[in-house]
Amino acid sequence: MKVYDMLIVGGGPGGYTAALYAARAGLSVLVLEKLSAGGQMALSERIENYPGFPEGIDGYTLAEQMQAQAERFGAQTELAEVLALDLRANPKIVETSEGTFYGRTVVYAAGAEPRQLGLPMEQALVGRGVSYCAACDGAFYRGKTVAVVGGGDSAAAEAMHLLPVAKKVILIHRRDTLRATKVYHAALTQAENLEFRWNSAVTELIYDGRLTGLRLKNTVTGEESSVSCDGVFISVGREPATALVSSQLSLDKGGYIVAGESTRTEIPGVYAVGDVRSKPLRQVVTAVADGAAAVHSAQSFLAGLENTDCLPE
Amino acid sequence: MAAISVDSEQFSQMLAGEKPLLVDFWAPWCVHCRALQAAFDKAAEENEDSVLAVKINIDEEMELTNAEGIEVIPTLVLYKNGKRAASVVNPGSKAAIDAFLQDALGR
Repeated sequence: MKVYDMLIVGGGPGGYTAALYAARAGLSVLVLEKLSAGGQMALSERIENYPGFPEGIDGYTLAEQMQAQAERFGAQTELAEVLALDLRANPKIVETSEGTFYGRTVVYAAGAEPRQLGLPMEQALVGRGVSYCAACDGAFYRGKTVAVVGGGDSAAAEAMHLLPVAKKVILIHRRDTLRATKVYHAALTQAENLEFRWNSAVTELIYDGRLTGLRLKNTVTGEESSVSCDGVFISVGREPATALVSSQLSLDKGGYIVAGESTRTEIPGVYAVGDVRSKPLRQVVTAVADGAAAVHSAQSFLAGLENTDCLPE
Repeated sequence: MAAISVDSEQFSQMLAGEKPLLVDFWAPWCVHCRALQAAFDKAAEENEDSVLAVKINIDEEMELTNAEGIEVIPTLVLYKNGKRAASVVNPGSKAAIDAFLQDALGR
């Protein structure tokens, strides 16, 4: 039975950074990724806020390079979907579509996914007008009309991000008031190029090769209407991929794993990295930082130095 | 071996062959298509005894794409005995591709 020093669940930027650090530290390490390196990052057309790429880089290419870099030092990858984990076992057990794997430590870096509206063509139009991240894709809509769907803090932040860029921003929300924090309200209501569409739900994406508009239904009167736009930013929440570990690790109310900057969870030898971790900012740069921190913590654990009774900070 | 790209003429020839044909309808601008690439190639390699796997760029083969009724990409279609037997849109994992193939090949 092969026992890896470290099993990494998820091949996004956090996972592959942990793989790189672990491999360079001489640990045997296997990344379990269900589809492709990069996770959510691989779906970003251009990443312009990751240092070192002055012209930006597409997320897929950056992911391929992170994978190649980790593998150059001996990290391995298995395209496997994780089905179950036993994090308290010794060694820890990860059951996948490609078989069972054993590790002395587990880095859980399964990521998060933006919640979808669930409309036909929504996935196919990603990159052709449908986006889940204004910080990622907003710059492509300079001088254009865009819609933002949602009413929480993240939707408000998306709108704020788009206001200086777009000609017009249409904020579409199911209710008649924003759920977002008050600090956003004044800024949004004062913006000249922002139009609110209250009590409105998106019922259809209108497209002709790429997105051209949205069909709306009034949630109070049932009246239907449509708006023309070049892009729509869907911001109706995120869902961390933590269901598989929810019975073993503490989650916060958003479903994120409770762990501090060391990424240590309540189970010794188990680390929460990237978007699954409870933290204020989820970006590629913060995910890669987590990956490095996890290996630092894991090295102490593997050397028997980590106080196994300590709680996550 | 990575799945090769084919045009409509090659597609017709392969359709007439004995082996079931697995086609990935994709386009270079489609980020989900790119994310699927490694898993598709791996699944193609693992099943090369039972399936011939190819890719068709919908931008280059619009007529064929329309004729095959592809409206969403990435779409994987399995053809058996020259006929469309099953399809799946944007499988989210290599495991999902494997499950689709198992089911479509009737194993």
